[in-house]
Amino acid sequence: MQLAVFLLIELALFAWSALASAQVAEFDTAQSVFYEAPTRTHMFVYSPSVDVQASPWSWLDVRGGWEADVVSGASVATKAGATYQATHPAADVVTTASVHDLRNLGRGEVALKGETTSLTGGYAYSTEHDYRSNSMHVNARTDVLQHNTQFELSYARNFDTICNRVQSSADPSPTRWIALEDSVGCFTSDPLRTTQPIGIDTYEVSWGQSWTPVLESQLTYTGQVIQGFQSDPYRSVVLGEGLKAQENEPTERAREAVTARLAWYLRSIKAAVRLSVRGYYDTWAIESGTVEGEFEKSIGESLRVMARGRLYKQTGAVFWSDDYTGGLPPLGPRGQYWTGDRELSPFWSWLTGVRFVWTLTPSNGRLLGVLESLKLAGSGSMSGYIYEQYTLGGVPISNARAIIGTLSLAAVF
Amino acid sequence: MGKILLLCFSLAGCITVAPQQRAILADPTMQFDAEGKHEAPLRHAIDNREGSMGGTGVSGGGCGCN
Repeated sequence: MQLAVFLLIELALFAWSALASAQVAEFDTAQSVFYEAPTRTHMFVYSPSVDVQASPWSWLDVRGGWEADVVSGASVATKAGATYQATHPAADVVTTASVHDLRNLGRGEVALKGETTSLTGGYAYSTEHDYRSNSMHVNARTDVLQHNTQFELSYARNFDTICNRVQSSADPSPTRWIALEDSVGCFTSDPLRTTQPIGIDTYEVSWGQSWTPVLESQLTYTGQVIQGFQSDPYRSVVLGEGLKAQENEPTERAREAVTARLAWYLRSIKAAVRLSVRGYYDTWAIESGTVEGEFEKSIGESLRVMARGRLYKQTGAVFWSDDYTGGLPPLGPRGQYWTGDRELSPFWSWLTGVRFVWTLTPSNGRLLGVLESLKLAGSGSMSGYIYEQYTLGGVPISNARAIIGTLSLAAVF
Repeated sequence: MGKILLLCFSLAGCITVAPQQRAILADPTMQFDAEGKHEAPLRHAIDNREGSMGGTGVSGGGCGCN
């Protein structure tokens, strides 16, 4: 914690001194809201962010930033399936609990740039009531063949910690684990609270290629290994008659994705079409496919408008079940792991949205005497989720739609 | 898959878009991540509502997964 604060202060001071002597400096801010209210739950997240970048010399960029998530809503606290609810028709076996959280994240990054190469290193530290994260990343990029080919290699390592409830040592079986009631006492010496580590290694390699004056592509491979506690500590799952236990997911997960992207400029209508296709697989046996398309057109010198559409479909995790009762007598459970996470169930989703970007760059001189350029962007998207198996006590999730809107401003000095 | 990639790399080596032909490729509408900071909240929301990830960079921190 002290090291993290020290590192962030050092980066902030470095960024500030670089800003003071910068040839070019940039200020960005974004405000975003997310809202969804599917059956019995709802979530509202407000996310502000501020970033500054300075380029004191042509070979150096220094960046620093802060972002937050202000979260309020209600989520599922006890998950049960249709079979169990059917045998207890008089009771509501599914419960929900209110959620309030605040995530604060500070970040810093330094980039060394050559004519055809760049090296970037960065660090981020974030806190939530129940989560701490230290994240480091490095990135190397090079342009070859007269800038027609780009290769990029990235690696990130997270040293994260999640708060959990201290479980009874008398019965170590996960079927007896009790979910975390709330985040009170987390990251203190409270004897009823403990912390568990999560390590995340992420690798990415990408190849960009210009094929013609109006066509380019990008192929990206992403690999990720997560080790540690990955369940929702607050959520319980009904496992058998009179038995519910804290969610219990495997502690190791390896994930892989390949993404192919294509950008094609249509001279006749002065617009670009961008297409993206992604295939994904992980060791929890989730397989997914994503198809995304964007159409962006410049209107005049200053305005760009974009429309997008996205389709996504995934299979469920190998241990996914909507109802974990019915295992070995007398109490089950059915299987070694159990989850109430709808993101691990089979489903498909759609997303549609629009975005505008308005850029003001004076042909001579500076705006208001100081600004080299000013950019204002706004976007709105709506997405829908169709769950094939996930229910709350047999009640399908309806109206699982989310909206997200973002406004951002960037000023270059 | 390896053979396809090798063929693509070989093909890429033969293709040259001259600097004076790169004006359109440099246009913001032809950039895959021209508005990366603006798009970050949407990508964060999508990642936390799906069981998969990848293709949008490696940096980040914290859970923020409500």
